[in-house]
Amino acid sequence: MSVAVASGTRRTERYRVRPRAAGIARALGLFVASALTLVYLLGPVCWMVSSSFQNEAEITSVPPHWIPDHPTLRNFEAIVERPSRAVTYETRSKIDPVSGGYIPSTARNLLPAMGNSLIVAGAVVLLNLLAGVPAAYALAKIHFRGRASSIYFILSTRVVPDIALVVPFFLFIRKLGLLDNLISLIVTYLAITVPFTVFILVNYFEALPDELDKAARVDGCSRLQALLHVYLPLAVPSLVAVTLFAFLASWNEFLLALMFTQTIASQTVPIVVASFASDFTISFSFINAAGVIAVIPPVILALVFERYIVSGLTAGAVKG
Amino acid sequence: MTEARLANSSVVRRRSSVLWLPYEPRTAWLLLAPVMTVLAGVTVFPILYSLYVSFFSLKLTRPLRVPFVGLDNYVDVVQQDIFWVAVSRTVVFTVVSVIAVAVIALLIALLLDQTFRGRRLLGALLLVPWAIPSVANGLMWKWIYDSHYGALNGVLLQAGVIRHYLAWLGDPAKTLLLIANAFVWKEVPLAAILILVTMKSIPEDLYKAATVDGANRPQRFLHVTLPSLRPGFMLVVVYVAMVAIRQFDLIFILTEGGPADASHVMSWQIYVETFRNLSFGTGAALSYILAIATFALAYFIIRALGQRL
Repeated sequence: MSVAVASGTRRTERYRVRPRAAGIARALGLFVASALTLVYLLGPVCWMVSSSFQNEAEITSVPPHWIPDHPTLRNFEAIVERPSRAVTYETRSKIDPVSGGYIPSTARNLLPAMGNSLIVAGAVVLLNLLAGVPAAYALAKIHFRGRASSIYFILSTRVVPDIALVVPFFLFIRKLGLLDNLISLIVTYLAITVPFTVFILVNYFEALPDELDKAARVDGCSRLQALLHVYLPLAVPSLVAVTLFAFLASWNEFLLALMFTQTIASQTVPIVVASFASDFTISFSFINAAGVIAVIPPVILALVFERYIVSGLTAGAVKG
Repeated sequence: MTEARLANSSVVRRRSSVLWLPYEPRTAWLLLAPVMTVLAGVTVFPILYSLYVSFFSLKLTRPLRVPFVGLDNYVDVVQQDIFWVAVSRTVVFTVVSVIAVAVIALLIALLLDQTFRGRRLLGALLLVPWAIPSVANGLMWKWIYDSHYGALNGVLLQAGVIRHYLAWLGDPAKTLLLIANAFVWKEVPLAAILILVTMKSIPEDLYKAATVDGANRPQRFLHVTLPSLRPGFMLVVVYVAMVAIRQFDLIFILTEGGPADASHVMSWQIYVETFRNLSFGTGAALSYILAIATFALAYFIIRALGQRL
């Protein structure tokens, strides 16, 4: 810029050259910042995935092999294997010379546990919608005394720490004979997830104009018909968000499942995966494979429905 | 907070349409009945029952004799040294986590507020840590911190920071911070999303006015961006503090309260008292103390941050 002599050229120089230099600096800065963020967010996950494809010999190398030299599916095969082919203490050296029997026989519990998790999460989602939609509609579109305090009440139940509920839950469920039964999980998860469901749906229904309701009523719709035929079709994005939150919360929950489940009849994925972690003889490559299995469904759902999730998560924040 | 405003705003709005709703209370309560029943049965009743239990000496090791002991459980619990250890661990864990989440989330939100290629992809990938189950998160970090083959040791050795592998989680001075790191990693995405939304809602006029007044970029950040982000930060601080104070999953997976009680937080103390010592009365008393502390914490954070709005 100092080369320019006349003030006129200097000005054009400045306008032409500086933005380009600044633009490159900015692009570089953004690239570095994005790369750092990406490494922070995904680095740990990538390491878990990489470890899950390594065999026992490779995973114990120092320093670690960031990318496996001899990728193996052994850890995942153990999870889907039929019992007859499973590795037991007696057959371990014959069947699995590489890992030396570091894969526990309970590896097969992971698939039934996924079944349990799916049943629980599916039931919780269904009950959330069945109970949450009418409640949210009432709170958003009907005037009645106690409306505001109802919203406060529903939300305040989430301030209670889950661990404070564990003792009474445990005593009741034991008394009802529902220990080690999926019903105990479904009911408690419903209570944990439904406040957030109602909160998001109330937000959404409130944004829909009241006139729709009026018009539908004038046309002879009952309240229920107005809800089913007018509001629900419009509320699909929020229903998707609510479904995802309830599903993910149920799929990921650990504390209550730890208290209520005892056998594979009711154990969910987090419980089975955690049971591997506390056993020091189990190969870390296998534990990572189990972790990958537990992580895949929620992460795929989150990425596919990213837009719905973000709008659902921020529904409250924008207003507040 | 959010819900308070939500309630207020809609109450006001609803007044206008009262006239055409004569029979509505009954319909409303009918529609609300399922949710209310579930919450009353599965949250309110248990929490009241928990209060009741906390006045009895209920031990599963002695199931037939359950004497009423009044407030003795609370007195007993508070007099134990381990209780105060747990309180201090919980406070350290919560404070460190909240500060770290707020700072990292602000940095990520500032990045995502820019327009550049790949921004949307980065925004989507931000959800990965958020979606991961806490158990898998715990396992992942346990493996990263592993003293023999872990990635942390590997990275630091290759970078020349350490000369031999260290037992990270085995060092009481580091344990709590390492667990907090795993916790922060998972909580940062939601916080960043909340802060980003708040950031996007700052009116452009404020920046223009500041620029006209001669404010440069750092000044605009300090005097326009940061103050305007207060509602977002409030949400983040309240949410993260409430999740951190009750954190159990990561403690269970990573350290089980150890080494030498270095990660013995309140929720772990409740677990040990209830399910290892099988003393349900004192366990319930501890739960109540934690529940009240959580309420108080939320209340004070909202008041402290809300006042300066």
